[in-house]
Amino acid sequence: MSTQRSVQSVKLVLLGEAAVGKSSLVLRFVSNDFQENKEPTIGAAFLTQRCSLGNNKTIKFEIWDTAGQERFASLAPMYYRNAQAALVVYDITKPNSFIKARHWVKELKEQASQGIIIALIGNKVDILEEDESLRKVSLEEGENLAKEEELLFFETSAKTSFNVNDVFLAIGNKIPNNDQIGNGNNNLGNNERNNGNRVELNIKNDSPQSNNCNC
Amino acid sequence: MSLFNTLRQKASSISLFDNTKPQNQPKKLTKDELFREEFRLPESESIVDEINTEVLIVSQEDTSSDKEHSNIVYSGKLYLTHHYLIFRDSFDNKSCVFIANLSTIKKVERIPSKSYIFALSILTHNNLKVLIQFIGIRSKSEQFSHNLKLQLKSNIPNTKKLQPFLDTLYSEFLIKKNSTTDPEKKNEIKLPEGGLGLIYKFPGDLRKLKDKSKLRLWFDYLRRYGRNLSISRQKMFFKLLRVGLPSRLRGEMWELTTGAMYLRFENLSVYHKILEDNEGKQSVAIEEIEKDLNRSLPEYPAYQTEEGINRLRRVLTAYSWKNPDVGYCQAMNIVAAALLIFQTEEQAFWTLSIICERYVPGYYSKTMYGTLLDQKVFESLVEKTMPILWSHIAKNDIQLSVVSLPWFLSLFLNSMPLVFAFRIIDIFFLHGPKTLFQVALAILRINGEELLEIDDDGTFISILKDYFNQLDDSAHPTSSDPKFRSLTKFQELLIVAFKEFSNITDDLITKERNKHRPSIMSNVESFIKKSQIRNLPRCKHLKPEHLSNIYDRFYECISLNNITLGIGSSTMTFDTFREFLSGFCDWVLHDDEYNYNENENDFLHRLFRNWDRQKQGELTLTDVVEGLDNFYNDDLLEAISNFFQIYDENNSEEVDRETILQISEGLLYLTKRLQDGLILDKLTQESIENYIADQIISKKKQTGSDDKINLPSEVEINKELFQREQGERYLSSASNFIGRAFEYAQPVEDVQLIDLGNSKDQKTLKANAALDPNHPLTLNLPTFRMVVLADETYELLFTSTLLSQIHLDRETKVTNKSGVLRDMFDGLIADGRRVANQVRRRMDSTANNENQSTKSEKSKLNSINDAEEEEEEDEFDMNKDYITDELLNNAELQVNDISDSHPIPKDDKLIERMNDLTLNNTEAHSENLIEFEH
Repeated sequence: MSTQRSVQSVKLVLLGEAAVGKSSLVLRFVSNDFQENKEPTIGAAFLTQRCSLGNNKTIKFEIWDTAGQERFASLAPMYYRNAQAALVVYDITKPNSFIKARHWVKELKEQASQGIIIALIGNKVDILEEDESLRKVSLEEGENLAKEEELLFFETSAKTSFNVNDVFLAIGNKIPNNDQIGNGNNNLGNNERNNGNRVELNIKNDSPQSNNCNC
Repeated sequence: MSLFNTLRQKASSISLFDNTKPQNQPKKLTKDELFREEFRLPESESIVDEINTEVLIVSQEDTSSDKEHSNIVYSGKLYLTHHYLIFRDSFDNKSCVFIANLSTIKKVERIPSKSYIFALSILTHNNLKVLIQFIGIRSKSEQFSHNLKLQLKSNIPNTKKLQPFLDTLYSEFLIKKNSTTDPEKKNEIKLPEGGLGLIYKFPGDLRKLKDKSKLRLWFDYLRRYGRNLSISRQKMFFKLLRVGLPSRLRGEMWELTTGAMYLRFENLSVYHKILEDNEGKQSVAIEEIEKDLNRSLPEYPAYQTEEGINRLRRVLTAYSWKNPDVGYCQAMNIVAAALLIFQTEEQAFWTLSIICERYVPGYYSKTMYGTLLDQKVFESLVEKTMPILWSHIAKNDIQLSVVSLPWFLSLFLNSMPLVFAFRIIDIFFLHGPKTLFQVALAILRINGEELLEIDDDGTFISILKDYFNQLDDSAHPTSSDPKFRSLTKFQELLIVAFKEFSNITDDLITKERNKHRPSIMSNVESFIKKSQIRNLPRCKHLKPEHLSNIYDRFYECISLNNITLGIGSSTMTFDTFREFLSGFCDWVLHDDEYNYNENENDFLHRLFRNWDRQKQGELTLTDVVEGLDNFYNDDLLEAISNFFQIYDENNSEEVDRETILQISEGLLYLTKRLQDGLILDKLTQESIENYIADQIISKKKQTGSDDKINLPSEVEINKELFQREQGERYLSSASNFIGRAFEYAQPVEDVQLIDLGNSKDQKTLKANAALDPNHPLTLNLPTFRMVVLADETYELLFTSTLLSQIHLDRETKVTNKSGVLRDMFDGLIADGRRVANQVRRRMDSTANNENQSTKSEKSKLNSINDAEEEEEEDEFDMNKDYITDELLNNAELQVNDISDSHPIPKDDKLIERMNDLTLNNTEAHSENLIEFEH
């Protein structure tokens, strides 16, 4: 473990109401990019990104970004099955999206794999820069839910990239090491083969914000 | 929450609908349904007449090209519906299919010919001449032409709709424009409204797509074989469609091949009416649509403009109003945005309707069951056609639908470059759902070798992503044959899809869908149930299994009530609520067993209002669960105050005179079954046990101490006596209640006027005021509580009697109207152990008092109970054979036999006296009541 750099694959799923910015968070994290009008995700989108943590550990996130509309909820189990981490996202300007987030947390606790690491994300804090009164879910409410359910908690902005990488770092740090928990994937085999394929995902990642996440 | 409700409702109504048919058995379509499906006709069409004919179609516009398109006579069948005349060749059903709306028929002539031949000549608006020679019996031919005449006649009012409709069609414009040579006239011909592509350019390189030459070919075809509402589809038609439609004509051809054109012609101006009627209205669907408007094919320039966004908004909104069961589903925005590039709003609206309702039913529904079902079907087709790939996928635990679901849901529009997706859609509209499966299977087949190398979903997806981005590349770049080299990957895809997978037929798809439907439905149902129960508010008293039963009954009740009305809702009205409660609560009486009128139903109405927190006049599942959770409460004080709240509707913490009377009515209502002796409460139960014990003791005394007493068989119970006794006790409690309530209620008075010093006077004053029917008075919660607690029977009502009549652990079927009331005697006195304990206790005390105890006697009695001695009060050893059953059975059996020979128990006199008392009380009370009513 000491000298060899280990790469660990982590399956991460994003859940949350429609248009709270799930795909934008992923786009920011993976490509350090932002699009004002992102097409809604149909079913789910799949992306990967590597993230190097301090202790010689690199994590390859296999990110499943899901559709947010309520009726797609019956498809969600297909995507969060075997996930080791989940981001439950809400929009701090939309109280309903917070209620929905609460439901997702409950569902994950009940249905997803044991020990799944869940981060609660209040997105779109950039909107507050225009007008503080647009906030409809207080920081405390988010914190309380996180405390109650033992979740990681962040408020983020995919637009300004505020806190985005920190979310993934925090999850990466909470993921138990490969050798501690066998997660069924023969990760080393995977990674060697995939190295070639996926370089392009990281090409743009030379901006200062993503200095923690390069390979 | 509300969305989930409707979702659940949808799922349950679908499966209920399915349950009415034997499962796994395909629903047989009627002849008319099949016919409509084949020719994409509106629901309103049905076959009026049909006959064998030979048909020759010639164009009077196109006289030049006869060399190329030789005039072939086709034999086949001619059908007449209310608004259409349809011919289909009997050779292969696609060599010549002629579909004409009756409005397009300008002239019908009998062709003069030899006497044994019967022939007609029909001329259409687009100068198509259809010569029809009837085959078969003369009279049948006569009849057909007579029917045709009748239909044409009744269709006359529709004919004036034709010309304005034709003016909206690009095909008419195309023919007109290219048929005149006069440049001035040419300029007069106005281009009809069309898709956004006319303004913002059509996607793709039109030159590369050879749009112009395609349009030229279509021009020839449409002139020669007709167009829009009267067209003959011949081999060339299909060929031209397969090479891709020219952009300008695409919108109309989509409309034609889906049958949306027929719908639009039938429902002129309906689209605009829907928009008008619903202007300014809000809905969940509209909120959801708004979220997605700016993100529907955002790379297409029109969707960065107001104009484009507005068209999309109107089409999606109108559809959400047309079909509220679907409302709006993500992916519909992409489909509609694609349609609008080529079609007008109205065209896109009807095409979208047909896609949602006929082509991919259930894809966009609130449960998306159609999507899930077709994924299952797709998986099973992959397994059948590519077993090696399938076993690889299965072995590596790759979820195929993760990859394929978006293909189906967005009709490949967000999977591959638009120009290719449009071409798949051209064919999809022509051939229906099997096309999606054929293309999807071909994608896997072509990439099969590469896919066999990988072992995770991620790589699986990225291989296919790469493939979609290379569709324009050569499929065989290294081939020496230039023809081969020029074949693109997309062309290869179509060849594989429609050649190699030509065995994927509509029938096969239908069969597979029918096979997997039941399991998908039940999965959807149980998923929704789970999430809905999970999202209910936390319950203090209800257990999970209670929630499950409540959920089942809730939806069973509303589905039953709504299916007949054909409305999908997720809330219950009062009548449904009553039905719902009757499954769990013994005290909910049915019309036939209760002389019910508004007043008597007062309690249930109040309960309904009490649970209806949003004050909507309807209850949601959450309301019902919260209400029941509150009601299902064994804490005496809470139960009493909850009950009081049902009557204290404005939360003033006090109720008036009228309401006090209603409370007592309510209490009478709740205890009706107890009054009738159908259910026995704890007090009666105890007195029965005492009675049995008494009997045993006295028996023992009579027969002498040494005789072993056969405890059960020799005790008989006068059932009616106990029932009557209980009934009277309840009536007396009711009358006591009202008496006390009025006695202790506070008159509403002017406080200042009271002389506080003179307390005696004040008391009498109060009492008098309370009895004065004209003087308003109020009863507050503490007083109500005191009045209830003053009566043992009512106190018990709130701690246990009421609760024991609610059976939430019972799975109920709506069909079994009320909870089955067993003969409560069987159930309630079943506790033989307690009786035995009683007997023992008494025997002991008798023994002590009379100094009569002998060990043998004791041991004999104990022999009945010795087993129980080591047990805790509340414990049973399930394996032990308690004698209770036998005890009771015997007791029952002997009631009749022995009752005569045994003296009435001495308690009887007491009961008689009690009766008198009760009667007096009620009499006195009823006088009061009369007074009050005056």
